[in-house]
Amino acid sequence: MDITESALQQVVVFRLGAQEFCVHIEAVKEIRPWTVATPLPHSPPFVVGVINLRGAVLPVVDLGMRLGVEVNAPTDRNVIVIVWIRKQLYGLLVDGVCDILAVAETSFQPAPNVAGASADSIIASLVSEGDRLLSFIALEQLLTSSEAVAA
Amino acid sequence: MNEGERPPSADALASVRGIFFQECEEQLAALEASLAALQEGDADSETLNAAFRAVHSIKGGASALELERLSAFAHQFETALAAGRAGMLELDGSVLRVLMRSADKLSDLVRAAREGEDLDEQVISSAEADLTALAGPQDDSDDDSMFSGFVPRAAEFAQFDEGAAETRDWVVRFRPYADLYAKANEPLLILRDLAELGTLEVTLNDGALPALDALDCEEGYLSWNIRLRGACSQQAIREVFEFVEGDCDLEIALEEALPVNNEAANTETDTPRTNGDASPPPSAPERKAALATPTSPVAQTIRVDLERLDDLANLVGELVINHALLSQRIASHGPSSASVALALEDLDHLTRDLQDSVMAVRAQPLKFLFQRMARVVRDVESATGKQARLIIDGEDTEVDRTLIEGLADPLTHMIRNAIDHGLETFAERLALGKPPHGSVKISARHRAGRVIIQVADDGAGVNRARVRQTAIARGFIAADDQLSDEEIDHLIFLPSFSTAQAVSGVSGRGVGMDVVKCGVQALGGRITVQSVAGLGTTFTLSLPLTLAVLDGMVVSSQQQTFVAPLTTVLETIPLKSGDIQRVGANLDVLTLRGAHVPAIDLLDALALRTEPARAPSRFALVVEDDSGRRAALLVDDIQGQRQVVIKSLEANYRNVVGVAAATILGEGRVALILDVNSILGFGRRDERKSPRLLAVG
Repeated sequence: MDITESALQQVVVFRLGAQEFCVHIEAVKEIRPWTVATPLPHSPPFVVGVINLRGAVLPVVDLGMRLGVEVNAPTDRNVIVIVWIRKQLYGLLVDGVCDILAVAETSFQPAPNVAGASADSIIASLVSEGDRLLSFIALEQLLTSSEAVAA
Repeated sequence: MNEGERPPSADALASVRGIFFQECEEQLAALEASLAALQEGDADSETLNAAFRAVHSIKGGASALELERLSAFAHQFETALAAGRAGMLELDGSVLRVLMRSADKLSDLVRAAREGEDLDEQVISSAEADLTALAGPQDDSDDDSMFSGFVPRAAEFAQFDEGAAETRDWVVRFRPYADLYAKANEPLLILRDLAELGTLEVTLNDGALPALDALDCEEGYLSWNIRLRGACSQQAIREVFEFVEGDCDLEIALEEALPVNNEAANTETDTPRTNGDASPPPSAPERKAALATPTSPVAQTIRVDLERLDDLANLVGELVINHALLSQRIASHGPSSASVALALEDLDHLTRDLQDSVMAVRAQPLKFLFQRMARVVRDVESATGKQARLIIDGEDTEVDRTLIEGLADPLTHMIRNAIDHGLETFAERLALGKPPHGSVKISARHRAGRVIIQVADDGAGVNRARVRQTAIARGFIAADDQLSDEEIDHLIFLPSFSTAQAVSGVSGRGVGMDVVKCGVQALGGRITVQSVAGLGTTFTLSLPLTLAVLDGMVVSSQQQTFVAPLTTVLETIPLKSGDIQRVGANLDVLTLRGAHVPAIDLLDALALRTEPARAPSRFALVVEDDSGRRAALLVDDIQGQRQVVIKSLEANYRNVVGVAAATILGEGRVALILDVNSILGFGRRDERKSPRLLAVG
């Protein structure tokens, strides 16, 4: 995700609880309504399970739980954002998708480093868009702790 | 849209290089096979010719793609082989060893060229020097121009040509198709090669060139009429074109034999041709048939993009699901008429046949993979100083192509281990009265819908005392644990397990067998080991033939649905109270016709129980794993047998313990396919013995 490539970056903005987050639009494959996921044994608690996407089986990550953000229990008003992470498909369970914005590269600022905040490395930068503060997510970081768990 | 789209890639030249490297693999395999045959004593001159042609092809492509080091080395190799062909070099043991080592270096060079790496120049140069020594003094030591034209080598060719001793006039018509250019071949180089056979008189025929605005710059419009006067056979001429034979119109004849009226055919306009289209313009077959006798038969094969095959296999899989769904829906509408049932049955047959055909398309013999192992054996021999013979059996057994790629690493590890750890040294074997050359045998066969591959050595067998000690030292087992011989043998599959005293360059880094096991499991297979002290060790891999579809038993507990592979299911039993009894602290047992099997609650084993059980389980599914251990899986409901399409979890996630794969049931929900081996592993061992912890109950 090289953010110096062009002056304007297109991002998809979604909502989790009271906060807004965004990811690069090229990482997003599609957005699906919520479906029941089949739970996987021995998986981290933020891996809700797996779903079927037209024949492909992919895992769904409860983004709120992963980031440690206060969220409500999933209902069918939730939405799953299907993203590419390192050539694999993942679903991110979020409250809803708000916008697609074109953001100037200069609006990206590195996230402040606060000791003890576990969501640090996942939130790569902060984007200011008018009054709104969007947290830009580094998708690769979503998985690092689960990859460290022996398969 | 099917299993995971792939993000877009780029670069057209890459595809040309890709084709070249693919062909290199084939040529290298052919080379290896020929040299192996020569080593076995095969005296057929065609074998040596085959080796020569393989190297020649690699050289041709390499120089066209400007892979200098590779083509230079290939040239030296080719020269040495030519000397062999001409009878100027006797192919005794030491010469063959040089040739085989050179084949290894050639393979390394191909790989380095593909990955863009550099190789140790010293190693290559010394191999090159060996080859030069074999070839004897050469007139053209000019390395800059590979095709340094007119140094006459006619004498060399005349010596191995049967009966073509006198100078003759040949007429060659050569018309390249677009593909020839697309594969980075250059007619100039071919003409220069031809020039080495005798005196050339070349005429260009550009009558097919259209006007500039109609010109397609990728198309082939030019052709050449060539007169060659030389003492060479038609075979020799054809060989010059060997690398491009399928991509051009080629006619070779003695001057008298040509029909007069060929100019008209040459001025036809080409129909544009796409890659992979193998049909030549209509008049060509007739002309070819009328003239020169064909030498090598045109291969009835076609190269297909693997991605297309995967898509095809996926679609067939979806068809199977759909068929199952249809059957279910029809059945749920009540008993169906006989004609409907008959039609459904026909559909079932057709679908299964289609499945088999698609699987057969992707199937390839294990031959090439096994032959590559010969190289591994040679490498380990030189690294360890031991000597080993590689015996291959069942190499014509066919498996799905993806299996072949996934097997390369595990097989390599196993062979390395077998030679490094299993086989005793030369001296030890003599002292034991064993034949001094240890042997490693790899074999493959089909059995009951699976592929069984074995790697067996006749060495010392698993050193059980040492394995046990290491396991205790690493905390995998306790000192007073009772383990059967077989259980001790299987300890070697534990992560980072190694009893090797010294970390040898070959193995002994302790990652061997558990990596092998993971690799095999990733292919949906299982691995077991049998060993007899003093006689040897045999590893047995069992792999599924059809990757895509599985016959399964669908069960459910607490609204969660699972599928157990039917090959693991022995029987299903409705439970009455009192059938399950507790033994000791935490083992439950089901008594089955006098035998006692451990009873494992499925949801507990997978740690997927969301609420406590309201009632005892109603059914037991008696299953058996690969080593013959049995258990009863306790579930709430058994829904019946169904054919399901296997969807990999690793495509988008990773390997999950207890789960072999996933499938999609009729309603669209994902159901997990159970990995019986690991589930039985849970119930069987308590916390102390196994690093895989599971607190039951």
